[in-house]
Amino acid sequence: MSVWNPDNIRDVAESVGILNLNNDVTENLARDVEYRVAQVLEEALKCMRHCKRTVLTTQDIALALRNLDVEPLYGYDSTRPLKFGEASLGPGQPLFYVEDEEVDFEKLINAPLPKVPREVSFTAHWLAVEGVQPSIPQNPTAADSRNLELISKGPNANSTLAAISGTGDVAVKPLVKHVLSRELQLYFEKVCSAFLNETSEDYRTSGYSSLREDPGLHQLVPYFVQFIAEKVTHSLKNVFVLTQVMHMAEALVQNKSLYVDPYIASLVPSILTCLIGRQLGGPADLAESFALRDMAASLLSLIAKKYSHSSHMLKPRLVRSCLKTFLDPSKPFGAHYGAVIGLQSVGGSEVIRVLVIPNLHEYTKLLGDGLDDAARRPAAERVLGALVAVLGSLRSSQPFLTNGHTVTDDLRSRLVDKVGDIIASRIVEAGEVQLAHIILES
Amino acid sequence: MSAQGGAPSPGPRSGSMGPGVNGNGMAMPSQQPLPGNPVHSAPTPGPSAPPSGAMSQQNLNQIVIDYLAKKGYSRTEAMLRMESANQEIDGRPLPQLGEDSRPKTRQGFDLLKNWVEENLDLYKPELRRVLWPLFVYSFFNMVTSFYPQDAKSFFETNKNMFLPEHTDDVRHFEPISLPEHLQDNSVAKLYRNNKYRVVLSNPAYTNLLQFLESKDKEGGSVMNAILSSFCSVKTLDRAADDRFSFAAMLNQIGADQTFPAEDEGIPGHHPGSAYTGDNPAMAGTLPRLKLGRLPMEQLLEEDVRAELAEEDAKQPPLAGRNTLIQEFDQMIKNEDDDEAPSRADIPFPPSTARDVQIEVKKVMEHRDRFEIKARTGGVGPGLSVCMFTFHNTYDGVTCMDFSDDSQIVAVGFQQSYIRIWSLDGTNIQAADPEFDNSPPASSRRLIGHSGPVTAVAFQPCATAREGISEDDKVPTNARWLLSSSMDKTVRLWSLDSWQCMVVYKGHDRPVWDLSWGPFGHYFVSGGSDRTARLWVSDQIRQQRIFVGHDQDVDVVCFHPNSAYIFTASSDHTVRMWAVSTGNAVRMFTGHTGSITAMECSRDGKLLASADDQGCIILWDLAPGRLLKRMRGHGKGGIWSVSWSVESTVLVSGGADGTVRVWDVAGSQETTQGGRILNESGTGTRLDAAANPSTSQTKKKKGKDVVVTADQISAFPTKKSPVYRVKFTNMNLVVAGGAYLP
Repeated sequence: MSVWNPDNIRDVAESVGILNLNNDVTENLARDVEYRVAQVLEEALKCMRHCKRTVLTTQDIALALRNLDVEPLYGYDSTRPLKFGEASLGPGQPLFYVEDEEVDFEKLINAPLPKVPREVSFTAHWLAVEGVQPSIPQNPTAADSRNLELISKGPNANSTLAAISGTGDVAVKPLVKHVLSRELQLYFEKVCSAFLNETSEDYRTSGYSSLREDPGLHQLVPYFVQFIAEKVTHSLKNVFVLTQVMHMAEALVQNKSLYVDPYIASLVPSILTCLIGRQLGGPADLAESFALRDMAASLLSLIAKKYSHSSHMLKPRLVRSCLKTFLDPSKPFGAHYGAVIGLQSVGGSEVIRVLVIPNLHEYTKLLGDGLDDAARRPAAERVLGALVAVLGSLRSSQPFLTNGHTVTDDLRSRLVDKVGDIIASRIVEAGEVQLAHIILES
Repeated sequence: MSAQGGAPSPGPRSGSMGPGVNGNGMAMPSQQPLPGNPVHSAPTPGPSAPPSGAMSQQNLNQIVIDYLAKKGYSRTEAMLRMESANQEIDGRPLPQLGEDSRPKTRQGFDLLKNWVEENLDLYKPELRRVLWPLFVYSFFNMVTSFYPQDAKSFFETNKNMFLPEHTDDVRHFEPISLPEHLQDNSVAKLYRNNKYRVVLSNPAYTNLLQFLESKDKEGGSVMNAILSSFCSVKTLDRAADDRFSFAAMLNQIGADQTFPAEDEGIPGHHPGSAYTGDNPAMAGTLPRLKLGRLPMEQLLEEDVRAELAEEDAKQPPLAGRNTLIQEFDQMIKNEDDDEAPSRADIPFPPSTARDVQIEVKKVMEHRDRFEIKARTGGVGPGLSVCMFTFHNTYDGVTCMDFSDDSQIVAVGFQQSYIRIWSLDGTNIQAADPEFDNSPPASSRRLIGHSGPVTAVAFQPCATAREGISEDDKVPTNARWLLSSSMDKTVRLWSLDSWQCMVVYKGHDRPVWDLSWGPFGHYFVSGGSDRTARLWVSDQIRQQRIFVGHDQDVDVVCFHPNSAYIFTASSDHTVRMWAVSTGNAVRMFTGHTGSITAMECSRDGKLLASADDQGCIILWDLAPGRLLKRMRGHGKGGIWSVSWSVESTVLVSGGADGTVRVWDVAGSQETTQGGRILNESGTGTRLDAAANPSTSQTKKKKGKDVVVTADQISAFPTKKSPVYRVKFTNMNLVVAGGAYLP
């Protein structure tokens, strides 16, 4: 079958008076017509190429017909694109024709004259100066030409050439806006602003829930991680922002449809900062800062639980960071607090037993100094509370053996030796006999 | 004329296409009108062939039939016709026709295709090259034996695998469906009248033959027949040719497109040589070329020397610089190792004061130019490109040229006129106020052509020298402009009087391109009539006609010593012709698209040609070999290429709206000795996601851009196709384009 419909041949034959044309003949002729049309197109393509164009116009067809000694088709103008109208001869028989506008003569006469096409002119500019393309308005911006393949890449490529020509790596680095779809970009912006919206709790929660539940956000994970890191670095004085980005981190970790494993390494430093940072927020919002540390600690515990299987160095690294802070007397109590709860949440009672208890005796002195100092007292109190609490966590892990004993003086003195007088007195006051035994045993 | 047309007798054989023959349509295979003929024999034996045994047998039949007819034995005659219809010409009975006897072209081809794909990686690349000729000739066979539907579906299913390389040929073959078209189609004719040459290594060829013979019944015989009758397979020892080396193989794995070897293809030519015959004695010989600089006329040289000495005295060179005389001596003695053509071969009119001034200026510019040294440590030179962007052209610009003195630019338009602007925006000076009464303006129109202007070219000229007294001043600006057009003429315009001076008529189809000789006086034009013509500007008849191309001559250019011209054609070949004899001296094949731009290097040793597939090829003229292939431009045509003064850097501009700078010195892969590097870096795919094993037909065309390692830099424009790039004598690049929003 030819593309050219044999029926057309029959129509033409009938118009010149040949009524019954054999099927074979029409088919044969149709093929021939098709061939001739292709011939004309071939010639037209030649004209197009020599007119240094990449678009075939009706003008080219006219020139091709002229070159082939055929009378050109008149009435087709190349300055405006052809518009085809569609009419129907019957069901499934569309007929296409060139739409010819009906022009009202009256209107044509009274219409203002069309705009005269502008004069051809030229401007000059530097496309390149000593091998580097200057960034002036006449030259395309890096973004415009980004999709062009300009530089040779791969093993054979000469990297020096690329660097010298000024279009080195800079141009190919993907920018957020261009890699992501518009929707995702929009989503990213919305969620970020919702999280940081100070006025509306609703926005914050909906942003949080969306990030926590919605699937299909995977492309955005690196950008969220980056966003978190950026906020943590730049907003250390603002507890609200820090808390919100911790929420964000939590939502990311909790989202079941996301694969966050590769980004944990970059997420953890931000969380650690919120846990054991020297100073979080201003001096006024002490309570908030400790809440933030608690939150960071719980987040760390979650991460340690969830991802320690994929990164076996994760837990030791976290523990080491916390312990280092804990043993550093120059750090403020806030940091110590974070370190203690961090140790507990990452390592559990085992870590407390092995790493915290042996150091408590020394630490008590520092703590005592802090409790005496009026300015540092609230923070020191918190640390004390945290220490007692983490020690208390040991209890639950041991079976409850004895009952009804009070703390004897002997026990008390041993306890003081072990954990220092302040904590010991707290324990004794609470009447935690079992706990005292456990601590002494460890 | 075909055989059946020439021999009118046995009825059913010749009148095959008649509609009334029992109503058997040509699509019905059971009674094929041309049964035995197509597969094994060459399809167009001329009627004037010497009478062979077969021929005489046929003649005898005809004589008898004529005799019977004359005597009125009509029934006997009918009987004889009937019986002879079932015989081969030599008298053997025809094989019974049926579904089985249909040539198994298609099955054979599919079989072979699969076999090639499953073959060892080592042989795959070369065996793949065999598929194209087999595909073409299989298709021809199906068409000539009246299986139009089969042919069409066969073509459609298989054409995609050849599209990247043979786009043009595929487009030419696509509409063919009847044997008459085959006779008519110029490309098909080429393939049918020539043997397609393929190069295979020995083991691959034997493998192939063994396979075909083992599958004899399933279509192998048909393929075998095609191979033996339409292709000429040249076998090479594997070890001897580095094309088949393992390294070359590895290189090709990543690239999804392979390129034809130089000695592959239809004209069956011998690499470089323009000789296309079969005589093996002639095959290897390459005519000796005289690529040296054309010696200067004695008188001119003396004048130039005197003028330079005067200039030196007036303006002593800066410290560390050559004097002009020294520079001049260096310039002329540079090419002592090359044989130079003598001035006797190419007559020029005696030199004038203008020539002296131009030569002096050339020496001065040469000394003071921005030197592009050979690259050191892989760093390319930093070029400066000045871009002239034309506005409001509505894609009507067809060609452009900058004058050598960078004073004016000529733009040819599709609307048949030429417009000339002064580049600095000042008013164009009227050379002769009496003749010229048009108001002062920064541009002039030249009207005269009656078809789109296809090329414009300024006469060679030089910047006016400063500091010369008014009496000595000789105009050295461009005074003449040549233009060619689709109205089949070439016109010479005077830029003093702004009038058309001469109309050169000779081409009988549109003229596609023209080029001035390096010293003016001569020019060459090439056109759709498949010829290139050499003209002397003061004569209205051409001096030489260069005939030999199988298709339109698309691009022409001169060798810098004026002794040779180059023509590039739609048949994808570039030829080099000697001006003095008119003979072809070199032929270069390897392009896979129509050639759109070409220029010979200024040292006369290399030729750069660019095609519309975005590929630039460098040819080494003396050995006639392909030097390297440089890719990076998008599809759509590279409209212009230009060489730096030192011939070490090439710059190109094209329809993709970029100006690209290329390193001419071979990339790291150059091999030493006889065979010069076949393919430069195979390039690497940029879209890393694309899996090389997926079929290339699925990929988007636009994504397939490969940039080879020898591109130094690429400068994109703002939506402006670049029509012309040009190195000035001082190594500044001037580029011209049109902004098409």
